[in-house]
Amino acid sequence: MEGNTSAMNDLKSYPSVQKWIENVNRYYDLSDEEWDSRIQTLADFCRSEEKDPDTVIAEALADRGEKVDFIRRLKRFVKTQTSNPRVGHDLENIVRSFFIHNGARVVTRPYRADT
Amino acid sequence: MDFLEVVGSRRSIRIFKPWEQVEKEKIQRILEVVRLTTCPGNLQPWRAIVVERDKLSKEDRETLLACDNYQGAHVNAPVWIYWFADVEGSTADTFRTRVHDLVDLGALPTFYGWTHETIDSAIVKGETAPEGMPAIHSLIHGLPREAAEAVARQETVGACAVAVLAAVNEGLGTCLHMAASAEKTPDLHTVLNAPEGWVPVWCQLVGYPAESPDGGGQRPRLPFETLYYDGTYGKPFARDSKVVEELEEEKLIQEQMPKPGRFEELKHLARMLGFPL
Repeated sequence: MEGNTSAMNDLKSYPSVQKWIENVNRYYDLSDEEWDSRIQTLADFCRSEEKDPDTVIAEALADRGEKVDFIRRLKRFVKTQTSNPRVGHDLENIVRSFFIHNGARVVTRPYRADT
Repeated sequence: MDFLEVVGSRRSIRIFKPWEQVEKEKIQRILEVVRLTTCPGNLQPWRAIVVERDKLSKEDRETLLACDNYQGAHVNAPVWIYWFADVEGSTADTFRTRVHDLVDLGALPTFYGWTHETIDSAIVKGETAPEGMPAIHSLIHGLPREAAEAVARQETVGACAVAVLAAVNEGLGTCLHMAASAEKTPDLHTVLNAPEGWVPVWCQLVGYPAESPDGGGQRPRLPFETLYYDGTYGKPFARDSKVVEELEEEKLIQEQMPKPGRFEELKHLARMLGFPL
């Protein structure tokens, strides 16, 4: 696993995660329970990538192609977590939100991307 | 809706109901309003191409979205009206033709000096226009293409302001968006088959608002006294509080944002529409 993995058990210690929480809470003030669940999803995704959150963001910011690949792999990762499309979309959005609030812009659509 | 309420209720709406289509008649009514809007010399250099998002092929839709950097509201809105400035619509020759017509129709009075002869001598020959007429010899004679483009753009921007109010009057949400970045403009022309001399000005997004139509309140505006002066700069135009009260009653002046609950609303909209929070 790339990056500082010793702190993977405490995702909140990563600057990218702190920035994410701070930015979102500035406007939306999510509950602690909601954050626990969001952070768990991010941690699972990072584990599947074998990278810590800061490394994920650094690579996504450095290379647009890499960012697109992350999102492609995110879709595959989500399919391993649930077969419910709505739940899957929500899980994807958690990681998308993490990207957005760290400056790695990702696109979402109100229609299916393949139509 | 009354005029003042239309102006006071206008917001840049950025969150639309993506599933609710806009009636074609309402789009036509917007276009009809713009057709009659004010314009110097009756030039009318604006043109529009109306695009329904869900009728586009996937390729064309993605190309158009890429032109303005996939802005969220653009992705979300069901109707995109691309407003263009037609440079040919603002040339000296077009101006000459139009003002000839205005003289013949009695819109430009001859007793102010407007005749075919005075117009031609000023615009074609560059001779000084008689007193009573604008100095069209210096404004229009020998008008370079870049200046014609600037005129076409500025008049199209004015038309877009009216288009926005017309949409509000129809009970629609609307917002003006960048149509295309400079490097993507050729893509926009290709997809829309727009003539070469048409310069993209704004993409007007139209749809039914998913967010509250008041958009969380009126946007903060600069203080009246810092915008308007009485007779000379430095002497602010006095703002009568009684007039302000009247305008509040007439719904021109409404509650400013952020109204309570705005971010709660955004949170729920993001969840409902599937956007990441």
